[in-house]
Amino acid sequence: MVMIIIDGQEIEAEAGSMIIQAADKADIYIPRFCYHEKLSIAANCRMCLVEVEKAPKPLPACATPIADGMVIHTVSEQAVEAQQGTMEFLLINHPLDCPICDQGGECPLQDQALGYGGDVSRFSEGKRVVDDPDIGPLIETEMTRCIHCTRCVRFGQEVAGIMELGAIGRGEDMKIATVIGRTVDSEVSGNAIDLCPVGALTSKPYRFTARAWELASHDAISPHDCLGSNLNIQTAHDTVKRVLPRTNEHVNECWLSDRDRFSYEGVNSSDRLLQPLVRVGDRFEEVAWEVALQRAATALSDIGKAEGPGAIGALASPTATLEEFFLLQQLMRGLGSDNVDHRLRQRDFRDDSFTALFPGTELPVEQIQDAARVLLVGCHLRKELPLVALRVRELCRMGGQVAALNPMDYEQNFPLTEALVVAPSALPAALARIAIARVDQVEVPEELRQWAELIPDSEEFARTAKMLSDVEGEVVVVLGQIAAQHREASALRAIASWLAQHTGIRLAFLPEANGAAAWIAGCVPHRQANGDGVPEPGLNVSQMLSARLSAYLLFGLEPTMDLAATGNLVSALSDASFVLSFSAFRSAVPAQADVVFPLALFTESAGTYVNCDGRAQSVEAAMDPRGMARAGWKILRVLGNYLALPGFDYITADDVRSRVNLSLPEVVCRLEEGCPLPGAASKSVPWSAESQRFERVVDVPIYDVDPIVRRASSLQRTRDHSLAAVHMNKEQLLALNVKAGDSVRVIADTDEVRLTITPDDRVLDGCVYIPMGSAATAPLGGADYIELKVVR
Amino acid sequence: MLRIFIRFIKTYFLWELLRGLALTGSRLFRRKFTVQYPDEKTPKSPRFRGLHALRRYPNGEERCIACKLCEAVCPAVAITIESEEREDGTRRTTRYDVDLFKCVYCGFCEEACPVDSIVLTDIHEFHFEGREGTVIDKAGLLAIGDRYESSIATAREHDAPYR
Ligand code: SF4
Ligand code: SF4
Ligand code: SF4
Ligand code: FES
Repeated sequence: MVMIIIDGQEIEAEAGSMIIQAADKADIYIPRFCYHEKLSIAANCRMCLVEVEKAPKPLPACATPIADGMVIHTVSEQAVEAQQGTMEFLLINHPLDCPICDQGGECPLQDQALGYGGDVSRFSEGKRVVDDPDIGPLIETEMTRCIHCTRCVRFGQEVAGIMELGAIGRGEDMKIATVIGRTVDSEVSGNAIDLCPVGALTSKPYRFTARAWELASHDAISPHDCLGSNLNIQTAHDTVKRVLPRTNEHVNECWLSDRDRFSYEGVNSSDRLLQPLVRVGDRFEEVAWEVALQRAATALSDIGKAEGPGAIGALASPTATLEEFFLLQQLMRGLGSDNVDHRLRQRDFRDDSFTALFPGTELPVEQIQDAARVLLVGCHLRKELPLVALRVRELCRMGGQVAALNPMDYEQNFPLTEALVVAPSALPAALARIAIARVDQVEVPEELRQWAELIPDSEEFARTAKMLSDVEGEVVVVLGQIAAQHREASALRAIASWLAQHTGIRLAFLPEANGAAAWIAGCVPHRQANGDGVPEPGLNVSQMLSARLSAYLLFGLEPTMDLAATGNLVSALSDASFVLSFSAFRSAVPAQADVVFPLALFTESAGTYVNCDGRAQSVEAAMDPRGMARAGWKILRVLGNYLALPGFDYITADDVRSRVNLSLPEVVCRLEEGCPLPGAASKSVPWSAESQRFERVVDVPIYDVDPIVRRASSLQRTRDHSLAAVHMNKEQLLALNVKAGDSVRVIADTDEVRLTITPDDRVLDGCVYIPMGSAATAPLGGADYIELKVVR
Repeated sequence: MLRIFIRFIKTYFLWELLRGLALTGSRLFRRKFTVQYPDEKTPKSPRFRGLHALRRYPNGEERCIACKLCEAVCPAVAITIESEEREDGTRRTTRYDVDLFKCVYCGFCEEACPVDSIVLTDIHEFHFEGREGTVIDKAGLLAIGDRYESSIATAREHDAPYR
C-alpha cells in the first residue's frame, strides 16, 4: 500500500497498480477509451493523460504505475489541455455520424467529446474512409468510426482465445479487420460489441431498431446453459430489442456468450404460439383458455380413473424454471404418478438411486480459474459452457493444465496438455485407465479392471494420470454433456466417483440448462422436491417412451429434437390417447398433440434458475407474454385447480419457490459410496469398409440446444450452425470412395435420413460425427451406431 | 342641485347614445383595415409553427434517418417512431406518427432534426373528421412535405440569416 494524492485527495492504493485503477477505486473520473479492467493495458488512445508532478509531460493514467507520494492532477490545466488535444485528434478521422449510429446515446466517444471536444472542428481536410468488412451475422462493422483502441483485438487474443480481429497497417492506414474473407465465429464474439467504445462494432440483429434511451431494462437469467448468466433484457414497444450482460463476478463476470445474447430473436420469432389449441379431427382449433384447460383436465382425470395414474407421464424441457419443475411434479404426484423427468437426452439411468441431490460442480464457478488441473471428459466445454471455457483459459494462463478425453478432437480455446481421443464407446474404458493409473496402489475393483481392459493401455493415459497428481491446488474432473448423454453414462459417473473417493479430486457433472433446479424441485421419477424419496420410483424418460403410456404431458420441449430416443417417441405419441403439449412455438407442437397450451418464455415469466454450483437466482418477468401465452407456473397452477388437486393455491411464483429449500449445502455431485460399478459393456463392433457400419459421435451443437435458440435466426446463420452432416476423416472418405458434398443415406435401426458428407479430421477412423438437435438429423435421435449407404 | 339638473337633461336627450353614434359616424368614412378571411389573409412569419411535414431531398430520397432525436425531444410525446435497416442498408423509419392532439406546436422537433426532415409548415387551417385522423402517419407527412416543399424551402431561406 502506498499513499498518493489525486486532485488533492489522499488515497491509499495498492503498490504496482496504475493511476487509473487507484482513481477508479476512489471514484475519481479519468476519461479513457482503450483501458478496460478485464483486458491488458495497451495505452494507445491517450485519452487518459493526467498531470503528474515532477514529470516533464502528461502521462497516461492507465499505464503509469503509482509510486509512493505521487501527486496527480486529473483536472489541472495541463491535464485538461492534453485531454482536449487527444480528443481533437480522435475526432479528426471520426465521421461524426451519430444520428445514424447505433452507439449514439450510449457512446463513450460522444459523451467525452461533449466534455473535452471543441464546438467547431479546425480540420478541413478530407477524412479517412475505410471499407466495412462483413464479419458474420452477429456483428455489424462501420470501420470509419474506429478509434483504434484495440479493445476488440485484445479481447479476442486474451479472453476469447482466438484472434479473429487484428490491426493491419500503421498510423492513418491502420485498420481493424479479419483475415481476408473470414468471419468472426467465436461463441463469445458479441462481447466485442460491448467493448467497442464507439459504433464501429455494433449488433447486427439490433441494428437501427431502437435507441438506448427508449429501452427499458429488466433483469433475467439465461436458460440455455447451466451457468445461469445474468442478463439485462432491454425492451421497447413490448418486444425484446437486445440483451446485454449484467455484471456478476461469481457467474458471468461482464461477459455473455452469443447464445445468451442473441437467443432473444427466438423469443420474438413469428413462430410463437399465441392461443391455446385443441385438436378437432386432424387439425387444431384455437380456443379460449377455459376450454383448453377443461379439456385437458377431463382427459387426464378420465385416463387416471380408467387406467390408473401410472398411465400418465410428463417430460419437461431442462430450460424450464424451478417453479415449473416443482408444479409439474406436484401435479403428476397429485394425480398419483411418479412418471416425471427432465433428462431428455440422457439414456443411462442405472445409478439413479445413488445420485447426489443434483449434478453440478463441486468447485464453485468463480474458483475454476484458480484450479491447478482440469480433466474434461466427454465435454466440448467451449460450446457447452462458453463462459466457463473462458475461466479455464484463464486457468491455463495462470499456469494450470487441462487435459481432455473426448470422442473427437474438439478444438478448444485453451491449450490442452493432453488431448485424448477415443471412440465414443471407449470413453468409460479410457477413463477407467486414467483412474487406475492415477489412484495407483489402491485395490482396483474387478468391474473397473474389466472396463479398463476393453482398450489397450497407452502412454497417454499414464501421462494424463500423472498430470492430475502431485500438484498444489484443486484438480477437477468435468463430465460434460457428451458424458451425461453417453450410453454408459452411469459407468462414467461411477468411475469418476471412484477416482474422487480415492484422491482429493473434485468432480463436476454438468447438468443440462436448468437441470439442477429440476433435480431439486423433484422433477425426476425417483425423488420428490428437496431430495425426498418416493416409495416406488416412477418411469424415467426412456421407460416412459418404451412403456407406451396413455397420456403424455410435454412441457416446453420440441419432441423430435430435444429427445435422444426420437424413433420411440413418434410411435409412443401416436399410440397415446391423450397428448398435452405446453409449447411456446407453433412448429414445436407435435402433430399428435390433443391440447396445446401456449407457453411464455424466459423473458416473460418469473422464475428461479439454479446453476451448476448451486446458486439459485430468481427473477421477475421482464415483459408480458405474447398473445394469450401464459407463464408455465401459472398454467400448471390453474391446471391443478381444474383437476381439483390439493395444494394448488399459490398466488405468486414466490409462493411456489418457498416450497423448495434453496439454501443449498455445498455441492457434492459424486455418486454415493456403495454405488455398484456397472459391468463393462462388450467391445464395440469394429469398423470395416464392407459393413459400412460406423460408430457415431453425437453431441448437441451450441445453437441447437433448445427450441428458443433453434429459432434465433441470426445464430442460425453462424458457422456453428451448419453442422448437420456426416463428418468423417479424409482417409475414410477415400476408403468409402466418396467426396465432400456427396449425399449418403444414414440408417439407424428403422429410421434413415439423407445427409451430405463433410470432411472433418477431428473424427477417428471407424467413427462418423453426426450431431443431434436439428430437424435434419432428428430421425436418428441419439443412435450410437449407424450404417451409411452412399447414394450414387 | 346643478348636478341633478344636468343628469336629468342628459337622460332625457339620450346624450350617451348620441356620443356613441358620433364615434360610429366618424369611423364610417375612414379607411377600413378588416381582413376578409378566408378570402384575404394576413402575412405569416417564416417561423410560423403549423402543421408538420417530412421533407425529401431534391432527388426524391426522404431525409429522415430515423435518429429519433425529435421523438426524444418532443415535450408532448407526440411523435412515435419505429425504425429498421432498409434493404439498401440505410437507416430508415418504418413508422413515423405525429399525434396532432398531443402536439403543442413548440417546434422542438424541427430544432432537433439534424437533416431538416421534420418541419412545421405554416399550414394552420386543418381539421379532422374523426378521431383517427388526428394522428398523421409517415406517408401523410411526406405527402404534406411534397406538396408544400417550395413554401417550406422559402420560409427556411428567409429565416436562415437569423439562425
Ligand atoms: S473496432 Fe472498436 S473496439 Fe475495435 S479498435 Fe476500433 S474502436 Fe476499438
Ligand atoms: S412541435 Fe413540439 S410538441 Fe409538436 S411534435 Fe414537435 S416537438 Fe412535439
Ligand atoms: S425527423 Fe429528423 S430528428 Fe426525427 S428521426 Fe428523422 S432525422 Fe431524426
Ligand atoms: S485509456 Fe489510457 S491510453 Fe487509452
